[in-house]
Amino acid sequence: MTPLRIVLIGYGPVGARFVEELLPAVRSGAVALTVVAGEPVEAYNRVLVAEYAVGNADLDAMLVGDRDTAEAAGAAVMLGVRATRIDRDARVVRLSTGEGLPYDRVVLATGSRANVPTLDGVDRPRRDLAALERHPATLVARDDELPAGVTALRDLDDARRVLDAVRGRRRIVVLGAGVLGLELALAAAHAGAQVCVVHHGPHPMPRNLDRGAGHVLRSAIRRTGITVIAHSRAEAIGFRTDDDGTRRFDMLVTADGKQVRGDLLVLSCGVSPRNELATLAGLRTATGVVVGPDLRSWSDPDVFAIGDCAQVVERTEETAGRRVLPGAPSGLIGPGWRQAEWLAAAFAAEATAPQEDGGHGPEGGLPEEREPIVMLKAEHVDVVAVGDVSADPWDDDALAPRRRVAQWADPEHLRYVKMVTEDGVLTGFASVGMPRTAAELTLLFERRAELPADRSLLLRFDGPDDDPSAGADAFAPDATVCWCNGVTVARIEDSAACGNTTVECVGRDTRAGTGCGGCRGRIADVLARAAASGAEEPDGAPSLA
Amino acid sequence: MAADTHCPYCALQCAMTLTPTDAATPPGTTDAAGPPVTVAGRDFPTNRGGLCKKGWTSAELLAAPSRLTAPLVRDADGSLQETTWDAALDLVADRLRGIRAQHGADAVGVFGGGGLTNEKAYLLGKFARLALGTSRIDYNGRYCMSSAAAAGNRAFGIDRGLPFPLTDLDDATTILLLGTNVAETMPPFIGHLAGAQAAGGLVVVDPRRTATARLTDDGRGLHVQPAPGTDLVLLLGLIHVVIAERLVDEPYVADRTTGHAALRRSVAQWWPERVQSVTGVPAATVRALARRLAASERAYVLTGRGVEQHVDGTDTATAAINLALLLGLPGRPGSGYGTLTGQGNGQGGREHGQKCDQLPGYRKITDPSARAHVARVWGVDPEEIPGPGLPAIELLGSLGRPDGVRALLVHGSNLVVSSPNVAEVRRGIERLDLLVVCDFVRSETAALADVVLPVLQWAEEAGTMTNLEGRVIRRRPALAPPEGARDELWILHELARRLGSTARFDTDPEQVFEELRLVSEGGIADYSGIDYALLDSGAEAFWPFPRGSSGTPRLFADRFHHDDGLARLVAVAPRTGARPAPSPDELTLVTGRLLEHYQSGAQTRRVPELLDAQPDARAAIHPATAARLGIADDEPVEVANERGTVRCRARLTTDIRTDAVFLPFHYGDEQAANLLTSDAVDPISSMPEFKANLVRVTRLVEAGAGS
Repeated sequence: MTPLRIVLIGYGPVGARFVEELLPAVRSGAVALTVVAGEPVEAYNRVLVAEYAVGNADLDAMLVGDRDTAEAAGAAVMLGVRATRIDRDARVVRLSTGEGLPYDRVVLATGSRANVPTLDGVDRPRRDLAALERHPATLVARDDELPAGVTALRDLDDARRVLDAVRGRRRIVVLGAGVLGLELALAAAHAGAQVCVVHHGPHPMPRNLDRGAGHVLRSAIRRTGITVIAHSRAEAIGFRTDDDGTRRFDMLVTADGKQVRGDLLVLSCGVSPRNELATLAGLRTATGVVVGPDLRSWSDPDVFAIGDCAQVVERTEETAGRRVLPGAPSGLIGPGWRQAEWLAAAFAAEATAPQEDGGHGPEGGLPEEREPIVMLKAEHVDVVAVGDVSADPWDDDALAPRRRVAQWADPEHLRYVKMVTEDGVLTGFASVGMPRTAAELTLLFERRAELPADRSLLLRFDGPDDDPSAGADAFAPDATVCWCNGVTVARIEDSAACGNTTVECVGRDTRAGTGCGGCRGRIADVLARAAASGAEEPDGAPSLA
Repeated sequence: MAADTHCPYCALQCAMTLTPTDAATPPGTTDAAGPPVTVAGRDFPTNRGGLCKKGWTSAELLAAPSRLTAPLVRDADGSLQETTWDAALDLVADRLRGIRAQHGADAVGVFGGGGLTNEKAYLLGKFARLALGTSRIDYNGRYCMSSAAAAGNRAFGIDRGLPFPLTDLDDATTILLLGTNVAETMPPFIGHLAGAQAAGGLVVVDPRRTATARLTDDGRGLHVQPAPGTDLVLLLGLIHVVIAERLVDEPYVADRTTGHAALRRSVAQWWPERVQSVTGVPAATVRALARRLAASERAYVLTGRGVEQHVDGTDTATAAINLALLLGLPGRPGSGYGTLTGQGNGQGGREHGQKCDQLPGYRKITDPSARAHVARVWGVDPEEIPGPGLPAIELLGSLGRPDGVRALLVHGSNLVVSSPNVAEVRRGIERLDLLVVCDFVRSETAALADVVLPVLQWAEEAGTMTNLEGRVIRRRPALAPPEGARDELWILHELARRLGSTARFDTDPEQVFEELRLVSEGGIADYSGIDYALLDSGAEAFWPFPRGSSGTPRLFADRFHHDDGLARLVAVAPRTGARPAPSPDELTLVTGRLLEHYQSGAQTRRVPELLDAQPDARAAIHPATAARLGIADDEPVEVANERGTVRCRARLTTDIRTDAVFLPFHYGDEQAANLLTSDAVDPISSMPEFKANLVRVTRLVEAGAGS
């Protein structure tokens, strides 16, 4: 049996997961796998790049790939080698080394690159077919050159630039207030840098948060010492010339004329899929490489895409005819991992049990992803959100008659929760400053469970009354004093009333305090209290306080 | 004559002194005046003179009317009738011989227990392999310690629950308790938590706000309340933070472990926010806890059944060990990792041959040199010792099946209450040709038997136990057994004789122990340096205790027990589909224990004071969940899934998460929580899933109501 030749282009966390899942089939000889990695390093977890950029994580702790094991199993892993073209007619992937890799299946896991906004002073090349064909060497599998002092935050080189600024306690300007920008801003400020966030929306994380949550979040960010400049569209970059002659970033200029000075500008304006190989190969692309629920390209049954570069759209008569396709890659790691697992399993099944008709690849498809939950990774600011939270409690929307909204806002103490339900089931929520509540809401959302009718129950997880009995009367009659023997306050009081007035006597009578002995102090307290109340109420009659 | 012995119940083995109340009262008679011995606590490192409610009332059962005092045999009408010992034993031997002749030796199975003395556990294993010639022996410890044992063996090359004396915990500044409710299961234990509490460092991980979780109140620590079945992910998150924030004890990891690189890679994907979305534990808590553990000079990580009794229990215990190893805890004075053994002799019971894959001394039954050593002491050819058998669930699944077990001998176990998916176990028992149960009360399992052989209680017998610390202790008799009850050593001797076995089956516990010493010599659990005289002298005896040594109170000071002396960091990951996700109308059933009851409750439900305090099973539900389901406190409810239905009353409490329901497993019949538990097992340890099964809870509308 000839092995199924699979070429994987891209070796990020999603690619690494695909490799890991496919290894048994590689080991058995059913699959011949070649990985064209692009970056010259072992696959690492990009989610942690911001942590790396502020010195909170080492590269070691971020590695998810295991090249040695993959190679031991028989896979070829080509670090630092780029794919420059997919020749679909010859069924060969062309490489930056000049080689060509013949394939039966090719999987694109090229991920995404940071968006560079339109700014005076920064070149921003297009990546349409014409441009790609003219300048393949600079545009394919390469990111844009940015001026000195300007960086995105996507790969390790970016992170090292940020790390230098953080270590030097320099002024960092973050353009954009999405999750990634805020994570970096908060982590850098925590690490001692001076940070200013500039964004054009009314409040941070506008895509995820409603106005209330956004404003509470802004207050929380400001309280960490970060400057936040809202409603500001960035327009240009001003440069200064260093002593060594380098022209580098000096200030960000906004449309309304504000000049925000700093030593490093971090662009955090979203990401776009790395589509260029697909575009060059004539595959259908929209925001990302267009694939069906089986992750197969609409244009070529032997080409697949997973992770940040894959845009999953089910091909129907209706969608096939549309020029603009719905959806976009989620940009989150969870769905990418699930795609990698599913596709690897499908290939393994195909390779080990070839179909009679010589058919092509996996059957069926991945279940549709649930809307992803967004969590801000930050030390002292807790934000979790999912779904559409724009509705207000008083909205009377005839289009959503079953929708209900409950809300808690305490901006002074930086706490806010909004829960949007349909028939009692959570369809979206936004939480700021309430970690336990957010964690519980996360689980309830994932499980599509009904919320308790008393929504305030969920808020109380973060309150001092979380445990209703913790602050309760330790001398309540049914409060347990001795755990070893299950003896309550009432039982000890009864015993005391029968003349057992010392800890030892009570122990002999009720066994309280005769286990680990840890409660003997409390028994003495109960006895003292009983003695005192006995003295006040000699007849034992209940008194009205 | 007073006897210094230890409590009959849990693995803490609290020391007690039993004094006969009236030497004139004939032993075993039903005496309305009270039990035949009085119980007093005795000073001992684990309990320091104290006892819990179960210990104080333990003597109630000695002369209880429910005590069995004659062998019972099922008659033609199907009811159990008293008979003589000779008649009962002849019958059992005849039937066993017949079944063996017709179906082969493996048609006879033996099911042991973690409450049996070392002597009984050892002799039971020998009896199965030599007198019965069967490989089909396993025991109820499969439901308790198997996951932690597998994880310990894999990481350390040895499995002793606590590799240090319990009193070492007294000086800890941080103790992480994972899935253990010691305040109810072994209450005197909590005295050893006081130091950590004083330092604000008692951390309890439990989906329920248990009595143990409450010990963290008032600034004495932290209760972490993950969703049931998510412990593994929580631990991976803690490990992630320890690695990412450079809290690893690098010199220790470099010098004393292997596997660091793979472990590091495996947790890179479990950053705290992702952990939060699976466990419901806030990311900030995960970080704070990892830092607290790393900053503590004296820290301990301890696991219990809550994290181990899962289909991924071995991996979860392994993750706890990985965390401890990265922090450099095992083997460092004043810190460590341990698992809290549950049953009275859960430690000794898993060392000396009751397990299907094991020979005495914690030897592997597949290891030719181990077989040769044991065969030499037993005076047989190694070929005569059968190979590995089936772990408990597979063994029970084979009952009455073609090529399965047709006759089962049960010792020290009430398996139709304590096994998962008990309805299926009951069906298996109905398919048997012969069920023989040794017990001293008519347990739910004994009630199904063809022959019941009445045995002794703790206060009537001599022997040794090995407690949760790996400390070997003496059990001593305080009174003569009732007429009609017999020691299991004698029963095994008599059956072996009737079956024509030429192997030696001593009836004197000390002689059996002398043989156990020889058999265990050179094994992992080496008892060869211990004898009764040493134990009676008051000397502390922690195994391994090779001849000529003074035992091993603390393991791992210089090396672990793999050949290279290094501990293994084993990368583990949650298995996709290991357990189904709950649908919106399902709750996760957590099973567990109550202070007043022990195991299947066969003993404690017969002690009036304990039964009065907890007379029946209550399903604990959060008031918000109950409101949604229309259930009021104390109302009858049905807890059901595709395996079965439990009918009991509801207890509303905010101590449980809104997505879970709790049932104690101490009750039988229609209140048996294990009607609902799955017999899916951990692929490594064969531990069933007891702690995260999906159920629906509904209000039980009683017949005639609502008219």
